[in-house]
Amino acid sequence: MIESSFNSSDKKVVLVSSSDENHPPENIIDGNTQTFWMSTGMFPQEFIIRFAEATGIAAVTVDSYNVKHLKIEKNNSPNVSHFESVTEKDFERTEGHLQSNVISLNVNSATHLRFIVTSGDKGCGPGCCGQSLWMKVLRDLQT
Amino acid sequence: MVKLRARCLLAGDAAVGKSSLSHIFYSDGSLFQKNYSMTTGVELLVKSVSIPETNDTVELYILDTPGKDTLVDGCEKMWGEPSLLCLVFDLTNEQSFVNCGGWMERVRAHCQGLHVPGVLVGNKSDLSARREVQASVAREWAQSQGLEYHETSAKEMENCDAPLLSLALAFHSLYQEHRENIQNLSPG
Ligand SMILES: Nc1nc2c(ncn2[C@@H]2O[C@H](COP(=O)(O)OP(=O)(O)OP(=O)(O)O)[C@@H](O)[C@H]2O)c(=O)[nH]1
Ligand SMILES: [Mg+2]
Repeated sequence: MIESSFNSSDKKVVLVSSSDENHPPENIIDGNTQTFWMSTGMFPQEFIIRFAEATGIAAVTVDSYNVKHLKIEKNNSPNVSHFESVTEKDFERTEGHLQSNVISLNVNSATHLRFIVTSGDKGCGPGCCGQSLWMKVLRDLQT
Repeated sequence: MVKLRARCLLAGDAAVGKSSLSHIFYSDGSLFQKNYSMTTGVELLVKSVSIPETNDTVELYILDTPGKDTLVDGCEKMWGEPSLLCLVFDLTNEQSFVNCGGWMERVRAHCQGLHVPGVLVGNKSDLSARREVQASVAREWAQSQGLEYHETSAKEMENCDAPLLSLALAFHSLYQEHRENIQNLSPG
């Protein structure tokens, strides 16, 4: 198993449902813990990561804030279509610090991973609009 | 440049002018309907508002909902998770203003007790001779509820942009606050 940080050139974010130019989608996989992607309102929110070639992925590490429910899907096609479900997870609500989760995927081969946040936490602190979220995929554990 | 999106609930008693206002928002004023046609389901319209002195815009997903009491229960599940509220009453109908308290309670209960920012709109300001609600009274109540107060006339297309701008500004500043909070988070 190789642990790869997501800053390598073999992956990129090819689709994102919204973004703030100060916190663009490239940040999701740049491997830098100081940067992040922020969505700009309303659920669901999603992004798709493309791998340069079909890759096996045992698990991903996801840091986030304001995420309540995350679905992960994959496909094995050159296009961003025909996704099949891999896993779903409910996140615990946090206040003042990030949600940090290692999500096991056990995917033998995928060219795209799609992350869909179907709902977020309301009232996650003062001034929270409950409709935008913070996300970052830090590592994938390749098989 | 940031493009924000917010779900905005348009609520208030029947016949206060919610649909009329939403048509004005949508068409920038060419579509006032004199004849009342009751809204029976939830109608969605999207209105993009630019935030002055920035390149940012807020897309308001406005849900026009029925005010008639027998229809409200059935439609409440389609409210979703609103992040903004536009509560409308009729300036010539005091009862519609009194009922705003009930609307606030309903919205708050729907949102798990959380405060939803937004505006209170007194509509039909063109019918000044029939006015039953004084601006000062309405403004004071709005303040107590954390809402900004505006008076409009959908018929004369007067001041109809003001509540929209208020809503967009409220969401924009919430987003910025949220972003700042997020930048200061500690690792998990
Ligand atoms: N004079 C005047 N009449 C208005 C104004 N706005 C709306 N009306 C009239 O008020 C009536 C009701 O307006 P609607 O917009 O359908 O009211 P609504 O709040 O959507 O009502 P429901 O859908 O039943 O909840 C219509 O006959 C409109 O023409 C206004 O600013 N001035
Ligand atoms: Mg209506």
